[in-house]
Amino acid sequence: MTTLARLSKILVKNYKIDPTRLTLDGPLEELGIDSLGMAELLFFIEDEFKVQLPFDPVALPTLGDAVRYIDGLLAAQHVIEPSTVAGVVPPASPHRPA
Amino acid sequence: MRRVAVTGIGVISPLGCSAVELFVNATAGRSAICRIDEPWCERLVSPLAACVNFNGDEHFEAPKLRMLDRVSQFAIVAARQAIDDARFDMANADRQRVGVFLGTGMGGSQTTDDGYKTLYADQSNRIKPFTILMGMTNAPAAWIGIEYGVTGPNLTYSTACSSSAVSIGEAWMRVRNGELDAAIAGGAEAPLSFGALKAWEALHTLASEDPTDASTSCKPFSKNRSGMVLGEGAAIVVLEDWERATKRSATIHGELIGYAVVTDASHITRPTVVGQAAAMRAALQAAACAPASIDTINAHGTGTQANDTVETAAIKQVFGADAYRIPISATKAIHGHLLGASGALEFVLSLLAMQHKVLLPTMHLELASEDCDLDYVPNCARHEVKINTVMSNSFAFGGTNAVLIARSAQ
Repeated sequence: MTTLARLSKILVKNYKIDPTRLTLDGPLEELGIDSLGMAELLFFIEDEFKVQLPFDPVALPTLGDAVRYIDGLLAAQHVIEPSTVAGVVPPASPHRPA
Repeated sequence: MRRVAVTGIGVISPLGCSAVELFVNATAGRSAICRIDEPWCERLVSPLAACVNFNGDEHFEAPKLRMLDRVSQFAIVAARQAIDDARFDMANADRQRVGVFLGTGMGGSQTTDDGYKTLYADQSNRIKPFTILMGMTNAPAAWIGIEYGVTGPNLTYSTACSSSAVSIGEAWMRVRNGELDAAIAGGAEAPLSFGALKAWEALHTLASEDPTDASTSCKPFSKNRSGMVLGEGAAIVVLEDWERATKRSATIHGELIGYAVVTDASHITRPTVVGQAAAMRAALQAAACAPASIDTINAHGTGTQANDTVETAAIKQVFGADAYRIPISATKAIHGHLLGASGALEFVLSLLAMQHKVLLPTMHLELASEDCDLDYVPNCARHEVKINTVMSNSFAFGGTNAVLIARSAQ
């Protein structure tokens, strides 16, 4: 299953988001996940992808940003190949949300 | 001083999720107390509770629901009902002159319980990110303020079982003195987690299960009473400056005319006749009422040995010979003890009883205790009774005794 599919599954299951609204460039805030909601989504991401996130908050405005960030973590923390849209390595020191 | 009208009522209770349903069931004396069915119930000596039939999914979008402990869900939905009932136009109100006053004893206790389970039972460090904001005691009030853009005072009172009588009374004082035009006031509680039930059980205040019918296990003022049964829910009222309310032709459920809070300052759990009586007297004084003008009392009436005896003695001390004539209702027998939401729920029941000219029954009272010899309206409601003035008592661990007095709007 791709990173996008696994992340979409979390969003549909836990946030009851209509799957047709899930697009890579769609802002997560429009789906009801603001910077506070992101704190919880990152918690689910850690569990689902078995990755460890940095202690500082991470700003991921869109679903695509989240997918690329997870793929970067997977590449850095696991030997397996990330499954994804564009395997971009996450920034070395993630910036804080505004 | 201004007069204060109650213009809106909202209820999420074990006896129903609307004022109408609550009142119909309270009048009929239908008990909401039952055996609870959870995997951990076998570890409880007496697995009883009064639960609310409530599903948060029906009231909130999923992303928001994830941030709401059950106590906040109850509070928000009850507040929506109250504001709708009042037909209160928040958009055109001066929202800095509106406040939120909420009572809760245990706040987000389910969330706290879940957190402990993760840490200590599961030996995991994966505490959920929303644990603080869901568990914090002022979350229910804060969410109500956010939902309606209310920028006046947003205050949470935690005085155990009198929390929401205190919150309504403190709101009343601010509307009365002109500081606020209106207040959303009441209480919410969701204490039916395993941890909370077990902790209450350890204190030996909970009722043992009636061997023939679990729903009758709470028996206020009865000779064979054995304690209280925990319940959950929320009750919220809209308090409004009387002139403002009449000017906009609001329906007025009653007038809140008196409130007092007097503290025992003697023992952390044991109630005192002196403290309870002083609170009733002070409320009568605040309301400028003679004791004889009280038509009925909604008692604190928990069904514990200590409370019911002390409350009866305190009522006698305040009302003298009139104590034997004033009907007293103890509705916790059927809706359970909602702790921080109890005072508000019983205040609402008092208003509804007055509006509908009904004396609510004290259920499961076959034989009263020798030292409980007043008229408790045993087992059957009385109809077509003219009620002008009601008193609602709420007493608490910690010794905070709060009393509210309301008068008919007619």
